Amino acid sequence: MKKNIQIYLGSLLSVFSIILTACGPDARLDMAGMFAGSSPKIDDRFTESQVYNNQHGFCTLQAPAEDYHVYVCTDTHITKTQKRWINFIETYRQDMLCPVAVHLGDIIDAQNHFDEMYSAYQSVPMNPAKSDTLMAIAGNHDIYFKQWPQFIELFKTCTYYFIVRTPSGAQDLFICYDSADGTVGSKQLQWLTQTLQWADTQGFRHIVACTHTHFFKRDYSQGHTSNYTTEETFALLNLFAKHGVEMLWSGHDHAREVTKVKGMTCIVVDSMKDGDKNPFYMLVTMGKSISYEFIPVD
Amino acid sequence: MRRRFVVALVLMLGAIASLAQVQPTDTKYMISLHTGYAHNLTYGSYATFDLDAYVPIHQHFDMQANLRTSTANSHSLGVQLRPKFALPVGELYIEDRLMMRFVACDEFNEFLHAISLGYMMEYVNVQVGVYTRVIQPLPYIPRSEDELICEPFDVLYRVEAFVRPRTSPWNISLALSNVDNYQVERMWQPMFYLGGWYDINEHWRVRMSGKLKLAGMFHLNAHYYASELRVGAEYRF
Repeated sequence: MKKNIQIYLGSLLSVFSIILTACGPDARLDMAGMFAGSSPKIDDRFTESQVYNNQHGFCTLQAPAEDYHVYVCTDTHITKTQKRWINFIETYRQDMLCPVAVHLGDIIDAQNHFDEMYSAYQSVPMNPAKSDTLMAIAGNHDIYFKQWPQFIELFKTCTYYFIVRTPSGAQDLFICYDSADGTVGSKQLQWLTQTLQWADTQGFRHIVACTHTHFFKRDYSQGHTSNYTTEETFALLNLFAKHGVEMLWSGHDHAREVTKVKGMTCIVVDSMKDGDKNPFYMLVTMGKSISYEFIPVD
Repeated sequence: MRRRFVVALVLMLGAIASLAQVQPTDTKYMISLHTGYAHNLTYGSYATFDLDAYVPIHQHFDMQANLRTSTANSHSLGVQLRPKFALPVGELYIEDRLMMRFVACDEFNEFLHAISLGYMMEYVNVQVGVYTRVIQPLPYIPRSEDELICEPFDVLYRVEAFVRPRTSPWNISLALSNVDNYQVERMWQPMFYLGGWYDINEHWRVRMSGKLKLAGMFHLNAHYYASELRVGAEYRF
């Protein structure tokens, strides 16, 4: 309890210091967003994503083997340095068993850093021996300061699914959804429900849901990160559990947490921000079962 | 170990509460019934029905019970025990709150225990404390891989301002809090309240209040999430 109080007081101090340093042209945080977010709202963002999805469809990737790898990172908070981000890209591109990597949001830290992020991504040589797919979801930092248009220009959609097919024809479904507002909104919730109902009929080997915001508040690891409302927490968990989702991957909290609930494993992946202590990404092996391990970036 | 400690603490405080001696008092008992229209992005529109009872056990101790049911199939039951001490200005109180919420629509239960310290003045009420939440997935199978999910330590707060002294026959209040009689949100999920009352006579008071809950204020991407409008009446014996 004493430790908790210390952590709590520390987090309060951090919040006040953040508020005090959140002004000026180099501001990291869009404090006006406390009362009105500057990017389009979740229903509008969802609609934009759906326009792209309707025009281009959803992606099916070919896995190189029955047991393949998915690299998962989050909270890179890219600013002027991109060391760990580059390290992550180099690693997953070298892995011949990896058909896809997933970024769970907070790709950049604040305004005007998408260019640096993309330059760093392009600076890593492609592996000619394999295809290269990076899936991404917006985190709250990615849409501060009216940055949604930049995100959507780069990544095209923020609510989508993709399928990975193995050589034997088994298929794994990955559902990515937008929670950068701390809510999924009503339209996206409806889409999630319909998509999962459709998935029930397709005989997927595994179903995984990926998003930015984490579900529980079991500690004060980052202090001021907020979750979904309690109603939405319960509704989403129940929806996913009823439709056979096995894993929920999220970030936002900057600290690892694994929780078993209703037969699902909810994983909060560590931060990979340059300068943060204990940066890890998650290496997931999708086979007959799903296994995961956390790999230090540095 | 920590989970056992929390469960033991909740049980112990519940037992203490149940053993509280009823003392003669001249403060009035009160019962109230409210109904409300509520909307949120998860359930859509739904109705709420609240039954609350206030029991002044002693001049230094009162108790309140709150029951809510809703057409969204989410229900809550809470008990608040409140030792209080008059000060030269205002009243200091400690609030011990036990609450259960049965979110039947989504097959979860949650249990909360909160302790807070409050200072009630004529125009302002300030309350700050801590709470523990235990989330139980349903159906719950003990000793299965699924866990009771414990959110061991979070902060609750309430800041409320009245436009007239609290003893006035009518009043309007504005509040910011992450807690009400029927739910406790996480610390970074504040809710805004606007309410008022009017005393028809010595026994009857009518009340009306509104609540606004935003999502993601501390994502710095605030977004409307829920609102509620309640009307009801209190009867004071």
